[in-house]
Amino acid sequence: MAPKKDAKAAPAKKAEPAKAAAPAPEPEVVAAPPALDLSTVKVEFTPDQQEDYKEAFGLFDRVGDAKVAYNQVADIMRALGQNPTNKEVRKVLGNPSDDDMAGKRLEFEAFLPMLQHIVNDPNKGTFDDYVEGLRVFDKEGNGTVMGAELRIVLGTLGEKMTEAEIDALMQGQEDENGSINFEGKPSSLLSLLSLRSRPKWYPFS
Amino acid sequence: MDCRNDGSPRTHEDDIMDIPLDDPEANKAAAKIQASFRGHMTRKRMKEDKPREERREQK
Repeated sequence: MAPKKDAKAAPAKKAEPAKAAAPAPEPEVVAAPPALDLSTVKVEFTPDQQEDYKEAFGLFDRVGDAKVAYNQVADIMRALGQNPTNKEVRKVLGNPSDDDMAGKRLEFEAFLPMLQHIVNDPNKGTFDDYVEGLRVFDKEGNGTVMGAELRIVLGTLGEKMTEAEIDALMQGQEDENGSINFEGKPSSLLSLLSLRSRPKWYPFS
Repeated sequence: MDCRNDGSPRTHEDDIMDIPLDDPEANKAAAKIQASFRGHMTRKRMKEDKPREERREQK
C-alpha cells in the first residue's frame, strides 16, 4: 500500500518573535534611547552582597514600604560605589518622565538587575578615563588644566553641575597659579575622582 | 536676569575660552568626571551620616 501523502501539511509555524519586538525607532516627541531589557541581566551578586545592598537600600526608604523613589536610585547606586551618569540611571529605570522620577517607587528585587547592569557596564569610568577626560581640556598639553576653565566646563558641559557642587569639587585643587596638575605627581583631583572614599560598610572590595 | 542664588550653573560672560558646547567627546568627558564626582560626594555624605545614625541608635 502506497503511503498516502498526507495532504494536510502541518501548518507552518509562524515565526513568533521570542522577545517583544521593539517598536520602530521613529523620532517622536521624546528622542530618548530605546528602553533597556533588564530581563536578560543575570544578577551575579553573592547572597552576602545582596544582604549588604538591601541594608543600604533600606536606609533610603523614608516611607517604610520597602521601596525607594525613582529619584533616589542614582544616590543608592553611588552609595554602593558606582558612578553612573544621571542619563544612565534614567535609562536603566526605563526612561521615566519627570513625574515618574518624583512619584514612582521601586522595590529591591527590581533594583538589583539595574545595579548589576550598571556594575557590568564596560564603559564605566576608570582612572585612565578621567586622565583622558581632563586631557581634552588641557590646552597646552602639559598635564594641567586651569581651574577656571574646568569650572566653566563642569558648569556648561555634560550633566551640568551647580556652582555649589563645583566649589565643593574644586576645593583645594588649584595651585598658586590657579592650575590643576593631573599628571605626573599623584594628583589630588584624580584621587578624589577615583574610588577612594568608601563608607566602612562598603560591600565592594 | 540675576540667577546667582538659585544654585543653577552659570556661564561667565567675560569668558574668552572656546567652550566646545556641541562636541560630543568633550561632553562625554565632562559627564564622566561629573558622574564620578557625584558618586564621591554621595559616599562622603553617607560616611558622615552613618556615625550620627549609629550614635542615635545607641541611646
